[in-house]
Amino acid sequence: MATTAVSVQDLVKNFGDLRVLDKVSFDVEESSLTTIVGFSGCGKSTLLNVLAGIEPITSGKAEVVSSKNRSARLGYVFQSPRLLPWLTIEQNLVFVRPEGVDETTHLERAKKYLEMVGLKNARNKYPYQLSGGMQQRAGIARALCIEPAVLLMDEPFSHLDEITAGAMREEMLRIWQETHRTILFVTHDMQEAVELGDRLIMLDYHGRIFVDIKIDLPRPRSLTDRVFINFYSDVVKHLQKMQSIRAEELAALGVN
Amino acid sequence: MSVMTDVSPTSLPITTTRRFARSIKRLIFHKGWLAVLMVLVIWQIISFFLGGHGLVPSPARTFATIWEVLVTGEFFVQLGDSLVRLLIGFSLAMAMGMIVGVLMGSRWFWNEFFKDIVILGLSLPGLVYALLSVVIFGTKLLAPVMAILFASYPFIAVNMREGVKALDKDILDMSRAYKVGKWKVVKQVILPALLPHILAAIRTGFTIAWKASVLTEVFGATSGIGYMIRFNFQMFAVRGILAWSLLFGCVMLIIEYGILIPAERYFARWRPHLSEEVI
Amino acid sequence: MTTTAINPSQIPSSTRMSKITQSIKGLVLSPRWLFLFVFIFIWNTYAVYRHSRLIPTPLKVGTTMVQILTSGIFFEQLAASMTRILIGFSLAMVVGIIIGILMGSRKSYDQFFKALVIMGLALPGLIYALICVMFFGISILAPVTAILAGSYPFVVVNVAEGVKSLDKDLIDMSRSYKIGRGKIVRQVILPSLLPFILAAIRNGFAVAWKICTLVEVFGAVSGVGYMIKSSFDQYAVFGIVAWALLFGGVMLVIEYGLLVPAERYLARWRPKVKQVV
Repeated sequence: MATTAVSVQDLVKNFGDLRVLDKVSFDVEESSLTTIVGFSGCGKSTLLNVLAGIEPITSGKAEVVSSKNRSARLGYVFQSPRLLPWLTIEQNLVFVRPEGVDETTHLERAKKYLEMVGLKNARNKYPYQLSGGMQQRAGIARALCIEPAVLLMDEPFSHLDEITAGAMREEMLRIWQETHRTILFVTHDMQEAVELGDRLIMLDYHGRIFVDIKIDLPRPRSLTDRVFINFYSDVVKHLQKMQSIRAEELAALGVN
Repeated sequence: MSVMTDVSPTSLPITTTRRFARSIKRLIFHKGWLAVLMVLVIWQIISFFLGGHGLVPSPARTFATIWEVLVTGEFFVQLGDSLVRLLIGFSLAMAMGMIVGVLMGSRWFWNEFFKDIVILGLSLPGLVYALLSVVIFGTKLLAPVMAILFASYPFIAVNMREGVKALDKDILDMSRAYKVGKWKVVKQVILPALLPHILAAIRTGFTIAWKASVLTEVFGATSGIGYMIRFNFQMFAVRGILAWSLLFGCVMLIIEYGILIPAERYFARWRPHLSEEVI
Repeated sequence: MTTTAINPSQIPSSTRMSKITQSIKGLVLSPRWLFLFVFIFIWNTYAVYRHSRLIPTPLKVGTTMVQILTSGIFFEQLAASMTRILIGFSLAMVVGIIIGILMGSRKSYDQFFKALVIMGLALPGLIYALICVMFFGISILAPVTAILAGSYPFVVVNVAEGVKSLDKDLIDMSRSYKIGRGKIVRQVILPSLLPFILAAIRNGFAVAWKICTLVEVFGAVSGVGYMIKSSFDQYAVFGIVAWALLFGGVMLVIEYGLLVPAERYLARWRPKVKQVV
């Protein structure tokens, strides 16, 4: 039976006068991979920040649901690695040891996930000694090693070159299939969103959910696959519709 | 539903006069005045309680002395004497500092050759230069000039060295590839690149120069700001010392913040970051 | 995957050996000895030529320095000066760190203290020295207060810059992982402030000992400054130079023996950047 891992109800978030998230509601199923897309600057990152507790909610609810066999921990992978530069990679993972987990267990998990992301030999290096892609992988290992209920990822591959990003996406899918974590993946890259997600949520310019669709295609998905191309073009049509609605709104304002 | 429209806070054009007016306004309403006020109040209170022995003059009487010194013109006479020494000494320091600095920046040999004496020069306190100059050169003009020369040339040298080292070889090669004339290269490539460093050199060098100058005057001069300070010290006239020090401090602040730092910021504005303090 | 920089502990010991011999070779074959030789030679020639008390020979200065060291008087006076410097500078650090943190965190504090700090930076140590000598005479309060007043601005400036450059991203990251406040302060904030605190120590300490020497010149009966003053009163240039060089030597030892290695240790996680001096 599918359980809910994340529950968002009527979430509203304002920054001063600016409303970034407007009555957003959705529930995320356990072990699913949900992608959230929108143009740059809309509330995608704010949504994650609110779930992580970094930003306060204006109204509504957004929470990670805990159940008996896991606590409501979440692992956040940011756009930039955000590693503490004065700690080695392994020490960086030790730094986020959650309360209630003892040191030895956590260290073992850290080693395990570092190996899983292919950084076994980089354990004792400092961040500056690693490339951008490796640092980002370390960030992913860090998020995983606390064995979170939910993994939040905020455009984690947008700062990498296309080849590295492609490799990382494959890696991430492999890890997801191995660990069955619930993932919330934010991106501005439509193709990436359709390629990765079980479900795609599109936010519009007002911070509302414009589209919320299931993606039932088998993986691996690629542009050489006819079915994928059709699905992708449908999604792009939604995006274009959103953009034209926006253009009308702006025109109406211009007249006023 | 809210919409972000693009309205700027001031839709008036930013003219120079308006910018000037804004910075004056910022100066007047600056919270720093609060701190100064607080200090004055504390000072007044302390002088009230301890003022009996003449040890802590009240702010009011100190400012009266300052006013007196200014109005009688005596300040400007002494300041003039000090400034003459300062300018002569500092010009020599600039000359020597630039030569040493450029040499050090261009060739490894000269860098190794001079580096010990420059480091030593940077670390010795101005006091030592002042005392030695007074003993060796007496109480004439030579003493402060020599002290300034040796105290501040290392700061000039270090900044010039950095400037020369930072010269972009790629751009120089490019100029050679395009067969650009030598003088043109010096004028349009080398000098603009060196200018921020020259200004940083002037700023750091000047600071140490006037401090060394005043110290020299304190120990062996018959005129000048430093002399007046020693005079007041020997007469145990706290008011006098405070008055002369504050006045001189203000003059130096005006020079540093009114001339040197804005000049440096202006000439270095094409850089992503301001030049580093080499102290 | 290739690494972008070399971890020193990964260099095989054979190359490490040759690196050490290389740096020793660089030290020995350096033109700096040429300078030393030329300098001493010119100095000596001039001194012998002038044959005046006012221009001592290098030999005279050298033997005086040895005398001062071996007679134990150097350590005596150095201890007196060092005590004053350490007390005064510790106080300056406390005050400076507090004000620096305040100034770095809120714009309003920054504006409030800015004028005082700028004036403090600009006023020469001479002023602090003279005023404190007049107030406190030859008690230890004179150098301590002068050092406190004269060097706290340097601490403030560096600490404020450190607080201003705290990486908010790292703090947000820590909060998203529900790291406790104390742990954030200890493991995120403090390490990023450390280089700035070190810079504060270097700048502030340099000013502190210069002020202390001035105070001793004008109003003390012990300490390095006092010894320099007595040489000055006797027109004994060799004495002034000897004491100045010895004291300068101690400061250089502290700088290169303590502070620079400390900085290098603290900065071992940083990508290698060129040093200025």
